[in-house]
Amino acid sequence: MAFKLLTSIHKTARISALGLHSAAIIAFQLILMQLISVMQGYHFAYMIISIAMLGFGASGTFIALFRKKLLEASNWLVPSLMAVSGFFMVVSFNLARMPVFQFDVYLLFVESSQFGVLALGYIIYFIPFFVGALAIGILFIKNAGQIGTYYFSNLLGSGIGGIVVVILLSHIFALQALPLVAILSVMAAVLSFEKRKRFLQIAGIVLSIGFIGFSIFQPGELPLSEYKGLSRTLNLPDAEIIHKQADVHGQIEVVESSALRYAPALSFTYTGAVPVKKNVFINAEFYGVIPLYDTVNIHNFTTEALPYVMRQRDKVLVLKSGTGTGVAHALQSGAKHVTGVTEVRGIKELLKNRFAEESQYFALKPEANFIYSDSRQYLLSQNQSEYDAIILPRMESFGGSMGLNALHEDYSLTIEAFQLMWNRLSDHGVISVTTWIDYPSRTTLKIAATLVETLRANGIESPENHLVAIKSWGTISFVLSKNPLESSDIANIRNFCREMLFDPVLLPGISDDERSVYNQIEDDNLYRYLDAILSSTDQSLLAEYDFHIAPATDDKPYFSRFLKFSTLKKLRDTFGAETMPFLELGYLIVWVTLIQSSILAFVLIILPLFKLRKRSRNLLPTLLYFGALGLGYMFAEIIFIQRFILYFGHPVYAISAVISTMMIASGAGSLYSGKFKDPVKASGVASFAVAILLLIYALFFTNVLTLTIDFPLFIKVFIAFFMLAIPSFFMGMPFPSGIRILNQNNEQHIPWAWGINGCLSVIATSLATLIAVEGGFRVVMFLATGLYLLAFAVFYGNSLISKKA
Amino acid sequence: MKYFKQNSVIIFLLLFLYPLNSDAQDYTMQRQSMVETQIRNRGIRDASTLRAMRQVPRHLYIPENQQRWAYEDRPLPIGYGQTISQPYIVGYMTEIIKPKKGYRVLEIGTGSGYQAAVLAEIVDHVYTIEIVEPLGLTAKAILDKNYENVSVKIADGYYGWEEFAPFDAIVVTAAAEYIPPPLIEQLKDGGRMIIPVGSPFRVQQLMLVEKKGDRVSSRSLMPVRFVPFTSGD
Repeated sequence: MAFKLLTSIHKTARISALGLHSAAIIAFQLILMQLISVMQGYHFAYMIISIAMLGFGASGTFIALFRKKLLEASNWLVPSLMAVSGFFMVVSFNLARMPVFQFDVYLLFVESSQFGVLALGYIIYFIPFFVGALAIGILFIKNAGQIGTYYFSNLLGSGIGGIVVVILLSHIFALQALPLVAILSVMAAVLSFEKRKRFLQIAGIVLSIGFIGFSIFQPGELPLSEYKGLSRTLNLPDAEIIHKQADVHGQIEVVESSALRYAPALSFTYTGAVPVKKNVFINAEFYGVIPLYDTVNIHNFTTEALPYVMRQRDKVLVLKSGTGTGVAHALQSGAKHVTGVTEVRGIKELLKNRFAEESQYFALKPEANFIYSDSRQYLLSQNQSEYDAIILPRMESFGGSMGLNALHEDYSLTIEAFQLMWNRLSDHGVISVTTWIDYPSRTTLKIAATLVETLRANGIESPENHLVAIKSWGTISFVLSKNPLESSDIANIRNFCREMLFDPVLLPGISDDERSVYNQIEDDNLYRYLDAILSSTDQSLLAEYDFHIAPATDDKPYFSRFLKFSTLKKLRDTFGAETMPFLELGYLIVWVTLIQSSILAFVLIILPLFKLRKRSRNLLPTLLYFGALGLGYMFAEIIFIQRFILYFGHPVYAISAVISTMMIASGAGSLYSGKFKDPVKASGVASFAVAILLLIYALFFTNVLTLTIDFPLFIKVFIAFFMLAIPSFFMGMPFPSGIRILNQNNEQHIPWAWGINGCLSVIATSLATLIAVEGGFRVVMFLATGLYLLAFAVFYGNSLISKKA
Repeated sequence: MKYFKQNSVIIFLLLFLYPLNSDAQDYTMQRQSMVETQIRNRGIRDASTLRAMRQVPRHLYIPENQQRWAYEDRPLPIGYGQTISQPYIVGYMTEIIKPKKGYRVLEIGTGSGYQAAVLAEIVDHVYTIEIVEPLGLTAKAILDKNYENVSVKIADGYYGWEEFAPFDAIVVTAAAEYIPPPLIEQLKDGGRMIIPVGSPFRVQQLMLVEKKGDRVSSRSLMPVRFVPFTSGD
């Protein structure tokens, strides 16, 4: 009796340790993502971590190769591995910060030696994932009979880990959070402590605690790439970080220097002093400046003043208002009521507290309202409001953004978002968008195409009477007017252009000569294509253009994605192979990630396992089943994340909520799968149910979300929870059921299955993104349906055929 | 013994001096080739610009670990988040301001010092300002050694260099989101100002600002011309 009780306690401790350790790994992954984002940039973090995550797949290979020895030693090995994994979470990051291992991703396409250092970085970050996954894999394989319970603990832990990170990063910096997360793995090691080989386990735990403790008290500094905005700013004389703040959106820093001035594309006519302003950085990238309310508003000398020079705007909405410079500008332009919507909570706190006096924080003024909300959600919630002007933030960056945001979804710039803005305009209301002039023209043309399509969708047959654009030496500002432009508007615009040395680009009755009086563009294709966009008869020219300039939609919300495969060769011939990576780096990085993770998955995981063929048969069903599950689960997860970002706004919270809900619901499904006596039946029923549900979702998911998107939040949460939890519950069943099937027939395949699943999950992330970019989210959902049907066919379908035969 | 000594000297010269001489010759050849293939063949025709670029040893303005790529057709990192521009862009920016003897040129952003050196080969005096002190000091050391007509100041380029204004031309090598009003003021009537627009690794546009009386105008130039497909293509 006592023995039984002890065994039961021990088992419960192991399962709890697994959950704790799983929470640590997912939290470590998310924290590492933010740390590398600060040092090198978000896209590179994605590239590096997806390779590190292959540690899960590699652990499967390792177990397959040394299965017997690992299982024999599992009792003491698992806690030791958990402790060592916690140890490496801290040590790997500290190693990667050492000068010898530091690479600069911005130099990757310039200096070939950087590839070697990058490869070292991959290995360093790979270790904690590999060691951590090894502990999980051994537990799964050793307890394959009760995989439902163990998988449940793994998923539950991962789900909770995601939530823990959001809470941690809202209050402390990622660098401080890292050792705290590593401690969870050490705690897991303590929880699953085993009597045998006590010395080894204690040594591992003590060593880990020592290093982790040291890291808590001596977190050190983050070595930034010298090309990051913050690094370059800190090179300026007397530059100093005067404020630092943790935020779930990233690390916020405020820098002061006597040389920091802000006057984007200022008119040549401005002869006063350009005021010095403090710069705000998020994850070491420039985010905005602290507005100085009492100084002359420099924006009055830029094309951004366009909506205010046309006529008085009483009620103004500034979307994605960043640090509030647009709000200050609206107020100083005479607006009586201004609402700014900021998508970073910390920024609002910053302006309200630390820099309130300097910026004359808008809350102090009854006519201004600065709100923390998602822009799209705010527009939805304001269904009774009407605005005289809706202002969007300045797009692109000076000299081009290197295309880093190519695959960044932005639901505030889709055709559906513009329709919402249109619905909120008063009779004389306008939508204003400004962009840096890019070359070759892409952003400029896409904005024009989006505005014209919005006008046409609302029955405007002559968009040229509703659209105006003016340009300076650096920027173009567009204004879409709900009512046709009046002669007084046009006269005001012409006067303003003359005063500021700007040129009208689109204006009713404009002549070609008028477009280049003060600021000439050597390449006149810009005008030609703008005219083509306005002309309903010349749409063929747009389809033939070398870049994607059709408006973004909710199904393909990639406003900054312009590259076409068909013109890659032409672009290379024109600009040279060396500059190609900088044309649309964001897109390229996803491709690089997919290619390198696919090659590594094949070399590191699939190839070695083929050596095991001698000892086993029927490899194909295992490969197909677990491959389909790895891909299918992630495809569905990525679509759910995207749809719910649109549904709720706030990507950080939406991602965390979706992942956690899915993990926990899948965990419950995994636990439930154990109730099926026949795992083949469990796998078949669940895979088929998932396929049917995903098919229904592919067809109707967007419609349901669109219909309910403006419902009260608590109803939306309720709807979202059920829409996510039901398929996720079934999606948690096929993997443990598959493991149980293998446990009965092909036990030696289990590590392989674990490896395949891990590898394909990593590959799925970049693959799904690329498919969504080309075909839209719905296509990805159809593919996920197909993959679950394949999983259904492999074991259950096959068994049905066998029975009939 | 005497022969041995003589031979030793020859061997010494062969062993140590030849490689140095060979390196110098190698760089000279690379430089000539760079001017022909990257600059002249791409349409830079101004004789003084071509001569200056043949003259200035670009590799000396580049950190040692980058020198072997000095004459390649690309920008190179020089530290502190800065780059030395691609040779073609340097040539293009030089030609566009129409430099000549008697000119006083202001450069904002000394960086490596290479652009200032190229200009110093043509004009009377180059005044160059660098805001990042270590970069400015390195560039000053090499420019002081090779040119008497270059003045280097470590300061904020926003204010220009009023003491020596007005300038016939201003070259802003560090891309800026705004053009400081003092610079427009310090530009001579009829003067030209050139500004690159783009990331450190990819300059695709240049902005030429011209001042004629009270009128200031800009021209966006595309060193690399992209021609979109049309239905006729």
